[in-house]
Amino acid sequence: MEFQEFAGKSTEEAIDNACAHFQVSPEQLEIEIVSVGSPGIFGLGGRKAKIRAALREESEELLLTSAKEILETFLERMQEKSSVSVHQEDDRISLRIETEDAGLLIGKQGQTLDALQYLVTKMLAKKSRRKVRITIDVEAYRARHNEALAHLAQKYGEKVKKSGRPIILSPMNPYDRRIVHMALQDDKELKTVSRGEGLYKKVVISPAKKKEGQEDAAGPA
Amino acid sequence: MKELVKFIAQSLVDNPDAVEVKEIQGEQTSVIELKVAKEDLGKVIGKQGRTARAMRTILSAASTKIRKRAVLEIIE
Repeated sequence: MEFQEFAGKSTEEAIDNACAHFQVSPEQLEIEIVSVGSPGIFGLGGRKAKIRAALREESEELLLTSAKEILETFLERMQEKSSVSVHQEDDRISLRIETEDAGLLIGKQGQTLDALQYLVTKMLAKKSRRKVRITIDVEAYRARHNEALAHLAQKYGEKVKKSGRPIILSPMNPYDRRIVHMALQDDKELKTVSRGEGLYKKVVISPAKKKEGQEDAAGPA
Repeated sequence: MKELVKFIAQSLVDNPDAVEVKEIQGEQTSVIELKVAKEDLGKVIGKQGRTARAMRTILSAASTKIRKRAVLEIIE
């Protein structure tokens, strides 16, 4: 890696200059801050901010390859006969596993798959020294699971509308909760909130409160 | 099992050479002891024990396959 020095009024400006020079986004640069600089008074006595920047060796292509390698080694150590395919999906890396024993890898309510995804994400982040987003799927489990969850949310939504009473769902991880919120966000008669502490919270689906006055204008729903 | 835990731990810590894994075989259950450098303890445990929990989940899935039970102990 070859570092070059860039300067600017602030570190942000120096980084912008570096990006312009290499014609890449900041994520693709390895950046070291040499000095932060100071604005000075009335434009006098200010020091310029200095940074050193170089192109990251790890390109997107390499990142995909190392993600695949990590998961392959992982499954091999689990003595799981399987093959892995990888592709970029928007801002995340999507890994797919083909195996005979999908049930074992998915686990109860996708627990094992989530654990695998969490660990591989951490391992890759450690190796590439940057934050990465990874999705691991076995036999389109996630797609099926998401669909079922959205369907469930709709079903409970209808129940809440009929009874006018809130329903509390069982504890879910952030990803699953997001699916529930999204499934019902366009429904103006309902609102959803997460309740609880920690990683696993419960989603509460309740009827949206009608604002005063609006009731007459809109008429009974 | 031992190799699996070693692989995961070494990929998470700053001092992979300091990772030690011992397997104590029992008739049905084996205990796997993981030891890492003091600075790396947080890395294998994770925020609110999330990393440790993930490792245990993986371990139990892998050991179901060979019809055994494995318990992970992180040793200080």
